[in-house]
Amino acid sequence: MKSASHVRRRPGVLIGAIAVSFGLLAAACGGDDGGSSSSGGDTTAAPAETTAPTPATQPPADTETPVPGGKLVMGLEADTSSPWTPAAMVCAISCHMVARTVYDTLMIPGSDNQPQPYLAESVTPNADFTEWRITARTGVKFHDGTDFDGAAIVDNISRHQSALLTGTALLDLASIEVDPADPMTAVATTKKPWATFPWFLTGQIGYMASPTWLAASDADATLQSQPVGTGPFVYADYKPNEYYKGTKNADYWNAPYPYLDEIEFIPITDGLKRRDALKAGDIDVLHSGNGEVITEFRESSDFESIEITKNGETAYTLLHVTKEGSPIADRRVRCAMAHATDNATVNEVVSFGVNQLANGPFSPDQVGYLEDSGYPLVQDMAKAQELIAEYKAENPGELKIALATTTDATNLVIANYQKGWWEEAGMDEVTIDQIDQANYIVTALLGNFEVFQWRNHGGVDLDQQYFWWHSSSSLDVGSLALNFGRIKDAALDALLEENRAITDPARKQEIAEEVNRLFATECYNLWGSYQVWMIAHKPEFKGFAAANLILPGGMEALEGSGIAGTFYPSTIWKAG
Amino acid sequence: MRYFGQKLIQLVIVVFVVTFVVSLALGAIPNAEERIIASTGQGVFTEEDRNAILDEVHLRDPAVVQYGYFVKDLVTFDWGVTFGGNQSVRSSIWDGLQISLRLMVYAQLVALLLAIPLALLAAYRNGGVFDRVSTTVSFGFISLPNYVLATVLGLLFTVRWKIFPALSKNVGFFEAPFDHFKNFFLPTLVLALPLAATYMRLLRSDLINTLQSDFITTARAKGLSTSHILFGHALRPSLFSLLTAAAVNVGALVGGSVVVETAFNLNGLGRKTVVGIFSSEFRLVQITVVVLALVYVFINFLADIVYGLLDPRVRGARSV
Repeated sequence: MKSASHVRRRPGVLIGAIAVSFGLLAAACGGDDGGSSSSGGDTTAAPAETTAPTPATQPPADTETPVPGGKLVMGLEADTSSPWTPAAMVCAISCHMVARTVYDTLMIPGSDNQPQPYLAESVTPNADFTEWRITARTGVKFHDGTDFDGAAIVDNISRHQSALLTGTALLDLASIEVDPADPMTAVATTKKPWATFPWFLTGQIGYMASPTWLAASDADATLQSQPVGTGPFVYADYKPNEYYKGTKNADYWNAPYPYLDEIEFIPITDGLKRRDALKAGDIDVLHSGNGEVITEFRESSDFESIEITKNGETAYTLLHVTKEGSPIADRRVRCAMAHATDNATVNEVVSFGVNQLANGPFSPDQVGYLEDSGYPLVQDMAKAQELIAEYKAENPGELKIALATTTDATNLVIANYQKGWWEEAGMDEVTIDQIDQANYIVTALLGNFEVFQWRNHGGVDLDQQYFWWHSSSSLDVGSLALNFGRIKDAALDALLEENRAITDPARKQEIAEEVNRLFATECYNLWGSYQVWMIAHKPEFKGFAAANLILPGGMEALEGSGIAGTFYPSTIWKAG
Repeated sequence: MRYFGQKLIQLVIVVFVVTFVVSLALGAIPNAEERIIASTGQGVFTEEDRNAILDEVHLRDPAVVQYGYFVKDLVTFDWGVTFGGNQSVRSSIWDGLQISLRLMVYAQLVALLLAIPLALLAAYRNGGVFDRVSTTVSFGFISLPNYVLATVLGLLFTVRWKIFPALSKNVGFFEAPFDHFKNFFLPTLVLALPLAATYMRLLRSDLINTLQSDFITTARAKGLSTSHILFGHALRPSLFSLLTAAAVNVGALVGGSVVVETAFNLNGLGRKTVVGIFSSEFRLVQITVVVLALVYVFINFLADIVYGLLDPRVRGARSV
């Protein structure tokens, strides 16, 4: 039987599904829409109206009455190869699934497409958005008995400021201190107006860990794998690449959640193995972006599924656009590659037609999506050959580029397609470098590449892409930087900065659309497809739709739970 | 004694070479410094911080100094913690070793238990129906890569018939014997079947030669029973190839266990090595490689000793 929330089937392409989405895009992916629920938020954070793309309905909550008890075992696509301290986590999708059991975020994306207070009682700005007051919810304790207060917020967010990855997202945060007049409130002061700051509290930066535990972890590193938060499940046990176990937090502040008594995560990196484990009964639920698995569970009568397509990630080919001496630095070469690419073929061969072809960084439900961004969706080899010929006329000598991919067989197939297209377009040689996953990420951070298969840019507000594209995070090759493609574009910077400072939805929409067009004109990246994620589960388990999580203000959480391929563990229950 | 001493010296040389190469391997990894820094997940903004982290792994020291630190850490069991999760490398490797050793021992036992009787039967009825069928089937198993076997058996026994779990767990034998059996049966079978086929063919071939020897003809003439001739006279002198293969296949088992552990989600040393490589857990990988190498070298050393015990002529010949 299919779940009522089974969404849609969209044709498209899955290009280079490199599972690299750092947690600081945290607030990124998610569902959109408004549709539902009373927005009675007690204390809204962000200004009344911000982003809000076209509202749409989101999958409804289950209508049956939840039953407490039971255990859920989930197959994850990966383990998290980092400590569980929020500032040090290298947090992809699987990491967020685990983190949501033990931690709560200060805010959660609400069904109105706005960040809503969750663990925070309120998050309020001053008039020019240069100061944000984050007030802790009263009466909440961490699992170790430590009080959750303003000092805990300060401790957690301060640690992010000096963190390798998340620190880049907070470059515009000048300071964060406890309000001397109110120990429950932390005051964050920004270097310039930052109207969208609350979005950063919905993801990794918003996870609140016990200061007592953090201090102990500083002294004893082995404690870093035993997280302590305020979340719905208390850490029970963890063995890297084997399992993570949590037990019900009986004193959870947001009752009646959680419903389950126990939860366990098992990393199973092979998507087809994960499917087999569900079919064999070893696990109760899985998440997958694999076209074959998605297609199979769509047709299955033994399992239910929910698909998360909104505000998700885009699979694309990342280009290093400012590398000295590289032909990729020339716009004509980049655009020739775009014209020569035939995503539809890859879609049919690799992805079983699951995804939708992408013409920009923003999927149809994200602010800034355009039906026609100007980016070529159909292969035009003649145009590609013309551009390459023009470049070669001005730049004698051989045109050679290096394309990097992971050791994954599917990605290699795609890389070989790309090599064929680009050489047909007139490039003299496209070499393919296969790099293991760990080195792949570091290579991107260092900027040691020309062409890279990648996946990123989920989110609701354009500001969530700021650190990926702004020149302030475009460091020299050899320095670790999150602007992997080393884009340095004054026009793009200006648009990102303006978007960060304003709340007018119409203008924000215009800005995001301008960014989209700019990417198409400059061919900064080669867009592939918008990634669909499926949660497939045994029919006796319920509550996977984000609408099942009612926020303290009465609003439903946003579909997609804020990050693609995830759900809120606290809302899951097992039917008798 | 001299033979034993020679073997011991060889063992020491091999151990030295393995540990020396492994200790230097870190420096040969592309972007090693950046990968180590990134793996820590910590904010590293000053040169001082960066140097402190890199000094801790002695990456910039001369080769001999690096080797010295490596051996010191190795013998004092000061193996540190993993970057990801800050787990003790020592306990992580111990957990993995238990799984891998179980798989190796079970696979060897099952392979030998299958191979020896089958080879005896096939050799005794050399050229008969059983011999031809068993030879053909064993050839099939030898040709079959273990990842194919793992996939096929996995799909049949876990997804279709739901007899065994798709994800094997490291359940202790004394903790829950039946669960232990269920969790280790398929991985063991996948490792054991190709091995049994190899052993069976080797032993069969040696037995056929032995059964044509004069002393067997004499035994037959004396009216000894078939089982007495096979087990009492023919088997022992035919075991050399099998013993060699069993020792050498410890290496194959280590390699095979990577595939099998991955296929059945068992977190043994093989899988830990692969995952460690992909997640830049250099110290874990270094120690794991050394441990696996030591296991391999030690088992081969034992095999050499057993040769000598099985046949005194070997001791004499090899010590010359």
